[in-house]
Amino acid sequence: MTKKESFRCMMCGYEFEEPVEPGEDKERTCPMCRSNSIRHMKKRAVKDKTGESDE
Amino acid sequence: MGPKAIDVGRHPNIELLTYSEVEAVSGYVGNFSVKIRKKARYVDPEVCNSCNECAKVCPVVKPDEYQMGLGSRKAIYIPYPQAVPCSYILNMDDCLGTTPIACGKCADVCEQECIDYDDRDEIIERDVGAVIVAIGLDVYDPTELDDYGYTRFENVITSMEFERLICAGGPTAGHFIRPTDRERPKRIGFVQCVGSRNAAIGRPYCSNICCMNTIKDTLLLADHYPDLTNTVFYQDIRAFGKSFEDMFQRSKEAGTRYIRGLPGDIEEDPLTRNLLVTVENTTTGKLERHEFDMLVLSVGVIPPKDLAKISGLLTLSKTSDGFFLESHPKLKPIDAPTRGVYFAGFCESPKDIKDSVCQAGAAASRSGALLNAGQITVEAITSYIIEDACTKCGACASVCPYGAIIWEKGQFPVVVEAACAGCGCCGATCKSNAIVMRHFTDEQLIAQIRAILADKPEDKVFVFACNWCSYAGGDMAGISRIHYPSTNRVVRTMCSARVSEDMVLEAFRCGAPIVLVSGCHYADCHYINANRQTVKRVQRLWNKLDRLGIRPERLQLEWISAAEGQKFAKVMVQVEELRKKVTKEEIEQTIKALQEKPKKQRKAKSAKQTEASVSTP
Repeated sequence: MTKKESFRCMMCGYEFEEPVEPGEDKERTCPMCRSNSIRHMKKRAVKDKTGESDE
Repeated sequence: MGPKAIDVGRHPNIELLTYSEVEAVSGYVGNFSVKIRKKARYVDPEVCNSCNECAKVCPVVKPDEYQMGLGSRKAIYIPYPQAVPCSYILNMDDCLGTTPIACGKCADVCEQECIDYDDRDEIIERDVGAVIVAIGLDVYDPTELDDYGYTRFENVITSMEFERLICAGGPTAGHFIRPTDRERPKRIGFVQCVGSRNAAIGRPYCSNICCMNTIKDTLLLADHYPDLTNTVFYQDIRAFGKSFEDMFQRSKEAGTRYIRGLPGDIEEDPLTRNLLVTVENTTTGKLERHEFDMLVLSVGVIPPKDLAKISGLLTLSKTSDGFFLESHPKLKPIDAPTRGVYFAGFCESPKDIKDSVCQAGAAASRSGALLNAGQITVEAITSYIIEDACTKCGACASVCPYGAIIWEKGQFPVVVEAACAGCGCCGATCKSNAIVMRHFTDEQLIAQIRAILADKPEDKVFVFACNWCSYAGGDMAGISRIHYPSTNRVVRTMCSARVSEDMVLEAFRCGAPIVLVSGCHYADCHYINANRQTVKRVQRLWNKLDRLGIRPERLQLEWISAAEGQKFAKVMVQVEELRKKVTKEEIEQTIKALQEKPKKQRKAKSAKQTEASVSTP
């Protein structure tokens, strides 16, 4: 199910929302400055398979 | 293709497994083990003499997939006339039932007694040295593009259905008729790029074969039925191959009309069932209306439905258009990123028969060279495990894009060096520093960071650049004499995924005002998809920096390809602007925030690593 989530460009500070599909493999780009430094703002602290976590 | 398939079936060195499916692949280059499901045919192909008596008595009638549903078949049938082996198959999904036997007529009439209702799927295993992936293509289903009326008007057909209607072995024995009245049509329209070059439906790529297929069809029709008129609606005619332009000219000389513009609206005359097409002729700029007896949608090609499954079995990755990603688009177009795996045909990209044959020949040649050599050379940048430091967590195995690390719960992981490509993702992931990447060790990279930032770190932008793309992008900027600030200092790693969290934090600890991690674009990653781990890591670092009170903007991430010298220069200008905003006080606070625990931890870990590596090769 596609969900809109928030992103923030770490280069220019522009904040935007984009649909995110589960398991998607998408290169994100800032719509304003074309930078790839895109921070997923609503990403929760989830332990992934590597054992590393946000917390 | 029939005679070729027969040759393959008879070749003493080729084992042809038809009606079979690959279930699992394990191992690595030179040592693959493939598990194959041989599906139950319920007919012994060695005994069946294709007498057709079984099909004659079979009461089940189903649409024939090979004839695109324009003909019918029985539940027991030969998939297509030149099938190898030329033997019947009983489709159990269509059969009236065998437990208990509901009909049994086919077995009753079979003089050869080759029908066995108790036949079951069989799993077989084969050891192979190389794998050639040639899984073909699927054709775009135009039902979603209802503007062209495919679901509403019977006389709108696809190019594949057209092929069956004009084929001597087709349902009409080659007599070209239209579906509604079974009369021969007089005016045919062809619509190009249906499901191709259309970003709105997620298929922006050119299918490569449709233009020439339509040109061939118009020549065929002009040859068989000189009184028939053909009109082709197109965006661009792409006749780029040998003799293709000649064919295009011959088609025009044969009377085919080519109109630049795709139909906007199609209606059906309820009386005649003819099709009324409204189109803007972009050459004249005028709106035109045409009437046809039949409309053929020149449908594009799409990646085969089994592509995702094969991708998982062989750790392959896909390009943005959904086809398999090759090892290098120019220098290794046959090789998959996984060593020992090669591509042939459509699964790599849309291509015509000639190009598919070329690629298949090249794939056979590449695998032959690999197998005949008897040994392979491995780059000296593979990883190895230090068991004394390893906690057996298996994180390394889960991130390896090549599946080159074998790990079982409670066991030490094992690096298969023949399969390891040297991205270093495992080393950057390992929290206990138990994996060392030869020639790109943590110690070496940390030493580079410290050396670079030893003097006036506040004046420097620290850059991690991957070997294949962003470092080459920097080279491109240099050889193109593009000006950019000279404050950047670059450390090269094979892949951006080699950059660990600790390396980024060490750069900040050493006083770096800005750290940039750069790598290949998603579609260009030279290590299948290792740079997705970079994204995850940088995301975690942003969150960590935030928690520590360090501005996350000081860590940047960019994808720069080898050709993007301009982008490299632009990014350097941008990060230099960011650097100017970082004050000395901010750097000092950062060093303080990062000083305590991580440094102690790393010291302890590196001591462990140095101690262990004395006894490890």
